[in-house]
Amino acid sequence: MGDVQGLVLHPRILAAVRKAKLHRHEEVLRFSPADLERLTHLSAKDVGHLVREVSEAVRQRSHAATALQLLLGDCPAELKVKFLSLGCPVLDEFLRGGVPCQGLTEISGESSAGKTQFGLQLCLTVQLPEEWGGLNAGAVYICTEDAFPSKRLTQMAQQFPTRGLVPVQVTKKIRFSDQIFVEHTADKDQLSKCIQSRLPILLERGVVKLVVIDSIAALFRGEYESRETARRAKDLQSLGAQLRKVSQKYSVPVVCINQVSAVVGKRRGNGNISSSQKVIPALGLVWSSLVTTRLMVTRTEHTVQCADGSPAVVRSLEVLFSPHLPNTTQYYIVDAQGVKGLR
Amino acid sequence: MSRHIGSYPLPPYLKSKLLAGGFSTVEDLEDVKPVELSKELKISPEEALEVLRVVQGEQKDPSSASSPDDGVKTALDMLQEEREQGCIITFCSALDELLGGGVPLTKITEFCGAPGVGKTQMGMQLAIDVQIPSAFGGLGGEAVYIDTEGSFMVQRLEDMAKAAMEHCRHIATVENNREQLEAMANFTVEHILSRIHFYRVHDWVELVALVNILPEFLQQHPKVRLVVIDSIAFPFRHDFEDLSLRTRLLNGLAQNCIRLADSHKAAVVLVNQMTTKMGHSGDGQAHLVPALGESWGHASTIRVLLFWEAGCRYARLYKSPSREEATVPYQVTVAGIRDVCIPNNMQDLSTATKEEGDSLGEHSQRKRPRVS
Repeated sequence: MGDVQGLVLHPRILAAVRKAKLHRHEEVLRFSPADLERLTHLSAKDVGHLVREVSEAVRQRSHAATALQLLLGDCPAELKVKFLSLGCPVLDEFLRGGVPCQGLTEISGESSAGKTQFGLQLCLTVQLPEEWGGLNAGAVYICTEDAFPSKRLTQMAQQFPTRGLVPVQVTKKIRFSDQIFVEHTADKDQLSKCIQSRLPILLERGVVKLVVIDSIAALFRGEYESRETARRAKDLQSLGAQLRKVSQKYSVPVVCINQVSAVVGKRRGNGNISSSQKVIPALGLVWSSLVTTRLMVTRTEHTVQCADGSPAVVRSLEVLFSPHLPNTTQYYIVDAQGVKGLR
Repeated sequence: MSRHIGSYPLPPYLKSKLLAGGFSTVEDLEDVKPVELSKELKISPEEALEVLRVVQGEQKDPSSASSPDDGVKTALDMLQEEREQGCIITFCSALDELLGGGVPLTKITEFCGAPGVGKTQMGMQLAIDVQIPSAFGGLGGEAVYIDTEGSFMVQRLEDMAKAAMEHCRHIATVENNREQLEAMANFTVEHILSRIHFYRVHDWVELVALVNILPEFLQQHPKVRLVVIDSIAFPFRHDFEDLSLRTRLLNGLAQNCIRLADSHKAAVVLVNQMTTKMGHSGDGQAHLVPALGESWGHASTIRVLLFWEAGCRYARLYKSPSREEATVPYQVTVAGIRDVCIPNNMQDLSTATKEEGDSLGEHSQRKRPRVS
């Protein structure tokens, strides 16, 4: 936040502003012109000048470009949206490039639907060089439910080079398990502390370019009583805003894994839910307003033969909403190597 | 006729000095020079200059409502003006009909809805539609898009721009209208995208500042006919302890938007989120209502609620000074906001949303050109 005294304004105006104890840009903007006149004893014209200069100074912080410049990448780096590959060409195509490095991506689903597998796979692909769809940095994996599935991660990391997505020379240089920072938190205050103080240290140095939270629901479903919905809503808002801030400040994807709730009776007609699903992502409307891209994974009853001959359950990945994706479904399987889309 | 000094926007201490010096009306200051005034009142020459500029400047200003011709309009004049202004079409004829021809200029229109119902899509669609050349009955304008949520995806915008362009080209070739074909030469995807001015703001401070500065930007870009704020709710919904400050800021913002819309003949489109309200109609049930509280409800002239019902998207006109309250279906396809197929074929309704991924040609051809 800038200081008003640093602006190029008439000394008389600056003196009046100082006298009125308005120091920061924000403090000037929170008053209406009439209030400012009263506070500073300046004329309407002077206040107009003051507001204009302050606004101009603040505006320089936000970024602007035309849509064409955005498309061609000819814009401030902060506005460019990169995508993190899922490590599978079929799924990347389905998601138009992968997980966007802007905003919150939510993966929800019933237990054992394969949510965590996506989280783990992203932790591996983020370490790839940028030309291979990664971000060339590590990941932070915040566990709130279970212990971190390190065995599974090791298995996926070992098998990753054999998937043939990237040349072996590239994967050989990366020590996959070394760049994943695991954090266990048990309550939302700890999580908040982690996001506000510990996470920025890693992000600031560029060591980490992916944040996965597995799962967001575990913290918020247990801790509150049913009459405390207002407090829960406020805490969720605040957490969501913090995560979005992290995502936008460092342009890193934030992936939240969420549980589901069953839809009971009349709630379906609430104007809130898109199709006739039996389950919807947990945490309600407040949280969904904070999510940018919402994905849902489910197990189907079908199985297919894997490459090694063992059967694998066919699962579906559905886009519930996203600013840039149609509501469609893609089938995939999980095998020893990880998540794979089916053609 | 002579206006009292006390009624000018001058600092109080200058006013009292002027009065003490015997200057009580405008006439008293008419032929006074700044140096004389500063000596007379023992104020600095800068202050004297400021006083004279304020007093004399305002007197010469033709916009002051002293003459009955300007400043005052009859209702008939306004009706005619409004008819000539035109609207921004949405590419969904049912929705256009609902709004009385489209999103009107010089007014604030608010779209509220639950996540994923297509609010951002609506904003993007309008940013493209405002640019439809006048040969097609469009406005040929430009758009300002303010993104507070980070949900603006240029790839998606490109899809929609392409569809809009192909749609217009189709009309031009079918009708074989020379004027329209000529207009098409300029109506390319690059052209459309280069006329959407995008701003990414991160908090309410930046949003308030940007809206303060926007009139200057619109003066430099006089063709801008649409300002979209997507969304107005996000910066104001979290970590706001002081709710009266929030109301004050939102009111100020709304006032600036109205001024902007009016003075630049632009439509202002605000996107708002929804919130749950308990016991809205006394039955103890939770209901969805637009976020930001009761007083915000007065800010926009037109309010449209977007919602899902039985797998189909609907838009309901919630508040409008001129149109009846009604509900119409719409859908979001790859091409953008479109009509829901044929109304008499009701089976199609349920499958309509599932077809979203389908080819866009079918839907876009069904839409006829708007003749103004």
